[in-house]
Amino acid sequence: MTPELSVMMLSWEFPPRIIGGISPHIYYLSRSLGKSGVKVYVVTCDFPGAPSHEIIDGVEVYRIDSYKNPSPDFATWVYLMNVNMQREAAALVNSLDRKVNVFHAHDWLVATAGIGLKHVFRKPLLATMHSTEVGRRDGIHSDYEKMIHETEAWLTYEAWKVICCSDYMVSHVRWAFGLPLDKLVMISNGVNAETYTKVEREDLSMFRSKFALPEEKIVLFVGRLVYEKGAHVLVNAAPKVLEKADAKFIIVGNGYMKEQLSSLVKSMGLTHKVLFTGFVDDETLMKLQKCADVSVVPSLFEPFGIVALEAMAAKSPVVVSDTGGLSEIVEHDVTGVKVYTNNPDSLAWGITKVLLDDVYAGRIKTNAYRKVQEKYDWNKIAQKTKAAYEAVSNQYSKSFWA
Amino acid sequence: MRVIIFSWEYPPRIVGQLAEYVSNLAVQLAKNNVETYVVTYHDYLTGPSDEAGGVKTFRVTNPVRTHVGVLTWVLTLNQEVERAAANIYYRANRQVDLIDVYDWHFIPAAVTLKKALNIPFVYSLESLEDHRSPSVNSPFKMAIKSVEWTGLYEAKMVSTESNWMRDEVFRIYKVPLEKVKVVLPDAANWIKNVLGLYETTIRGRNFK
Repeated sequence: MTPELSVMMLSWEFPPRIIGGISPHIYYLSRSLGKSGVKVYVVTCDFPGAPSHEIIDGVEVYRIDSYKNPSPDFATWVYLMNVNMQREAAALVNSLDRKVNVFHAHDWLVATAGIGLKHVFRKPLLATMHSTEVGRRDGIHSDYEKMIHETEAWLTYEAWKVICCSDYMVSHVRWAFGLPLDKLVMISNGVNAETYTKVEREDLSMFRSKFALPEEKIVLFVGRLVYEKGAHVLVNAAPKVLEKADAKFIIVGNGYMKEQLSSLVKSMGLTHKVLFTGFVDDETLMKLQKCADVSVVPSLFEPFGIVALEAMAAKSPVVVSDTGGLSEIVEHDVTGVKVYTNNPDSLAWGITKVLLDDVYAGRIKTNAYRKVQEKYDWNKIAQKTKAAYEAVSNQYSKSFWA
Repeated sequence: MRVIIFSWEYPPRIVGQLAEYVSNLAVQLAKNNVETYVVTYHDYLTGPSDEAGGVKTFRVTNPVRTHVGVLTWVLTLNQEVERAAANIYYRANRQVDLIDVYDWHFIPAAVTLKKALNIPFVYSLESLEDHRSPSVNSPFKMAIKSVEWTGLYEAKMVSTESNWMRDEVFRIYKVPLEKVKVVLPDAANWIKNVLGLYETTIRGRNFK
């Protein structure tokens, strides 16, 4: 059986290369698209030990030479990496007798490769905007940021359709780049609740004791340690929480703010209460999410908020800042607690509420788990994505490029 | 024969000596029955093509207006060069014999077009990064050198303007000498040599 539709996905990260949320997104989306009869080629950056070509659940993954010399700066590396990506993807499409119906680029990190492939093969390009520079930086403050912003604008201009993961991002992207509304498609991000059943039945008390004392409740933060993720808001909320409840704050992830955060913790005299684990492997992360008495997502800017969804799937009660995609995921007092953004007092209130009321915590996490299964299932998301590909292919077939 | 020339300078935008050389080359090629296109950069004269002396010129500009360096500017501009060349290719019933690329700037576009559309390219060398900025070992310089290396590796033929430069290409990048042709710009049979180089480049090639 030959699949009707074939897509080439461009992404700068794919497991085992995991930097942010795009990597698991591409992994689950590709796999679910494959199950719904779409042939998927993923072209992504290489990773030590990972093969340059492999087939995972029917998805063809190609890992390109991602330019490994030192670069003047991150953005220049991105453009250089795109030269290689484009070169290898072009050869691949050529070897497939051009049997690729659409190119799908994820974020500005693969913008130039996506735009180039569109024009040399005259095939439609779709773009998913997972985030924006203006959102990440809360404005554009330098030529460097402006360059990235303009690259994003160019990608959305060249794309046939722009996919966003939340209603919030649809309006944000529309505002940031002045796009017509009919160019934007909202397809939510998803989470795979099944993966957590693996650690479901394990006795985690030994595991837990490596991170916290038995009498300490675990307050978990998972995310890159960058400004927009708001780990500093959590650290500033810690003393207020500790007035009412004994807790250990576990902060998982790396980022440019790590040193700043740990010196903040030191100056507050809280080194025994705040634990920085750095980047952890999948299994450790899932176990931590299972053990957490509360999972906190205090982002200042959050296009979607996959971490909240993962916590919900792990049956951990969530406290989130009322912003961006998080506002849409969590219903206050029903599937989680919403607090004021960038407000340590409000955040401390939310965390304390969950830690001190077991009945309440039990209710919101049960509701949240049900919601995850109903609304954020990858198979449903793949169906919507496939429909977007079909709509674009249909319009394309009537264009002079076809 | 149908040829596209890539050059980052071309009249009226004159930076060094390349602009004049390339425009003279384009006119001479046209006179010798080569269907000649030039894809180049200009910030204000962009838009549809112009045609003069039998040469069709397409000028592109960079959609990304703000940059932190020459590299980011060049690498993004390449997409527009690629787009212009792809448009020429599709309008010409998918038959372009070769691309002649002047210096490293538009090598990335030429490489993609080769991989995607099977159009071979000639890398015509004016200078090398090692000569332009000797004894510098910055990431910036290494990046430009990596573009030069890719170009020399992927090019079907390389042309230089002197025997000295041919030896330098061999010394620095270990390009096999049979791939490098010297085309002396002041020789009486200069245009014949260029045409000979093009013939060598497209020999044995058949369109699919």
